[in-house]
Amino acid sequence: MTHDLSPVGRVLRSSTTEFVVGCQDLARVPTFGSFVKVKAHDGIWVYGAAYNVLIDDDPFVRQIIGNPHIPREVALDQKENRQTPIEVKVLVLGYARDGLVYQYLPPQPPATLSDVYPCTASEVTAFTDQLSYLRTILFTPQIPADELLAANLREAYLRRGGDREFLVEAGREAARLLKDEYDRLKAILSRIRPSLFRSSTPEPARRRGVT
Amino acid sequence: MRERQRIGTVIQGSLLEGLTAKLEPSASVESMRVGNFVVIEGQKKQFFSLITDVALDATNEQVLLDPPAGADDFANSILAGTSTFGTVKIAPMLMLDVESSLEDQGLRPVKTVPSHFSPVYEADEDDFLRVFQEDTVSGVERVGKKKFFEIGKPLNMEVPVCMDLERFVERSNGIFGKSGTGKSFLARLMLSGIIKSHAAVNLVFDMHNEYGWETQSEESGHFVKGLRQLFGPQVLSYTLDPESTRNRNVQPDGVVVIGLNQIQVEDVALLQEELNLTSTAVESSYLLVDRYRERWLQELLNMDAETLRDFARESGAHPEAMAALKRKLDMIGRLGFVKEHVDDSVIDEIVRSIESGRHVILEFGRYDNPRAYILVANIITRRIHDLYRKKTERYQQTKKPEDRPRQLMITIEEAHKFLNPVAARQTIFGTIAREMRKYFVTLLVIDQRPSGIDTEVLSQIGTKITALLNDEKDIEAVFTGVSGGGRLKGLLAALDPRQQALVLGYAVPMPVEVRARSYDEAFYKAMGHRERDEQRREAEKARMELFGE
Repeated sequence: MTHDLSPVGRVLRSSTTEFVVGCQDLARVPTFGSFVKVKAHDGIWVYGAAYNVLIDDDPFVRQIIGNPHIPREVALDQKENRQTPIEVKVLVLGYARDGLVYQYLPPQPPATLSDVYPCTASEVTAFTDQLSYLRTILFTPQIPADELLAANLREAYLRRGGDREFLVEAGREAARLLKDEYDRLKAILSRIRPSLFRSSTPEPARRRGVT
Repeated sequence: MRERQRIGTVIQGSLLEGLTAKLEPSASVESMRVGNFVVIEGQKKQFFSLITDVALDATNEQVLLDPPAGADDFANSILAGTSTFGTVKIAPMLMLDVESSLEDQGLRPVKTVPSHFSPVYEADEDDFLRVFQEDTVSGVERVGKKKFFEIGKPLNMEVPVCMDLERFVERSNGIFGKSGTGKSFLARLMLSGIIKSHAAVNLVFDMHNEYGWETQSEESGHFVKGLRQLFGPQVLSYTLDPESTRNRNVQPDGVVVIGLNQIQVEDVALLQEELNLTSTAVESSYLLVDRYRERWLQELLNMDAETLRDFARESGAHPEAMAALKRKLDMIGRLGFVKEHVDDSVIDEIVRSIESGRHVILEFGRYDNPRAYILVANIITRRIHDLYRKKTERYQQTKKPEDRPRQLMITIEEAHKFLNPVAARQTIFGTIAREMRKYFVTLLVIDQRPSGIDTEVLSQIGTKITALLNDEKDIEAVFTGVSGGGRLKGLLAALDPRQQALVLGYAVPMPVEVRARSYDEAFYKAMGHRERDEQRREAEKARMELFGE
């Protein structure tokens, strides 16, 4: 399988339900809620959504943190050439094999040091054509599930080229899953309203209006 | 598989209470209408059903307590069909065994319910045709024994809804509706169908001169043709008031006069309410009959105060009651069409016309009051009743098909005056409504107050064609004798006040709401009517074909 994009990092730790990506460059860290994929055994590509970015300290930062004047190159070095990796937690949402998408947990987690890639627009579209992964996000304990779902749907909406129909369908799936938790549903819906995207949709006319 | 619009899924219900279906998110609750015809595809059977109620529901109370902000289209479109959804109540009416062999694929009354989550579809044209057949009376000539007549179209589709006229005339029928909802128009339609199909002979007591000749349509203000004009000499128009008929530039086929000798106590008893008679007064008239026989009324009206007192003393009648009886019956004597002595010739003529299969419409002209109407209708009908009883007995004896009496349908308006609980037990109409089906005579009752009709009679009414009714009691009355009728009540109050009617009963396989057919040129044509110049053209064409130039 070819990749349109270069890897964002490598697998640091992994389990069946989630894995941690070690990244070197803060600028290339997967954003909250975005889709990433990693190759596991047997031609399986494990898909997941990034949900927690941990920028850990190292002994050097501890020493220098109290210094009133931190040299600019040191700060830049912390961003671009870190001693300790930036850790990105990824919630496993499903996997793909031979072009088919399965929205349940893969048989095996990815091995450490496997390359992790961001998903392309067409991969996001193919994966989000099914919506049963919403359940995985909503009912995984101890993650900011509602925020993650909203961020993930916003991302998918944009990668699908501003597909309102998709947002409505996803909203409906969420409404079905949260039939007893209307407050959560409302919070999620308020975070994925299409009107939120007005200023960021790639419409040339709008862009020009912004100075 | 046909492409029908799926509107929902059966989620619960019972045969008695009806089914509940959850609407699909794509089906707008606003486009569901009470009375719509839907089909449920069960696993083994198709269920032809009616929507009887539409409701809003939510999976969670919270949604209702905290609805999304007014302008939030997005949230609304998501919640619609998921957290909030519409449900419809469905009354299954008929079922069809899908698996059974083609020969016995008959529609049967429902005896079970579809299984859980059976899909509900909006009925399409094929479903309507399967249930309501094709029009074989008007429209294209077809070979076939059954006489199906299009009464109208369903509210949301262009397919004919047909009635089985042979079944229709087999039992007494009712056309009900508030004043101004088109009862006489519906009656004209049905009468036309029956005349055209020869399903029965009609005798119409036409109180307001609406059926025989041209009348102004209440709706459009245009003049519409009467049955005499549509069907020519097959229909005879008699009148009680030749003057009024001639004033309308119409030549009646006969004039009816009633003799005092033809009036019986039974007729007077029927007028008890109209004339405000006490029951003592009615009973005293039997004393008169005892002495004077058929001349009783004539003698009574000729008595002066003295003779009346003498008669009361001799016969033991209450003098005041006798005086009241005379005073009130004087009104009958003063009716223009009542003569002292009349032989039965005119009535016999009417009876003979009916026997020969010609339809009779009796206009009342200016005597359009209930008093004259009840009196005349009762006298004539009594005679016909006797005749049919004899004929039927003869037929039962000989069993020859040619002796079989012609099916007769008698149309009466203001039927609650004849068939109210008191009158229904005494008048000939009550008897006909209850048991004359066996003697080939049935009634078509036209009324705006069905609750005034005796329930025993109502329950015997075969087919009911009902326009809008609002009064709770009237609606109740219409559904007397209809199983599961309670569920259909909503339909009746939701009808449009014009041209719409609910048809239920013996002549249709299941209740259905219709937009009644227009009574216009196209209808005249379907009934075989041709304008004069058209006839002339046809005659000319025939002449050319026969003889050439």
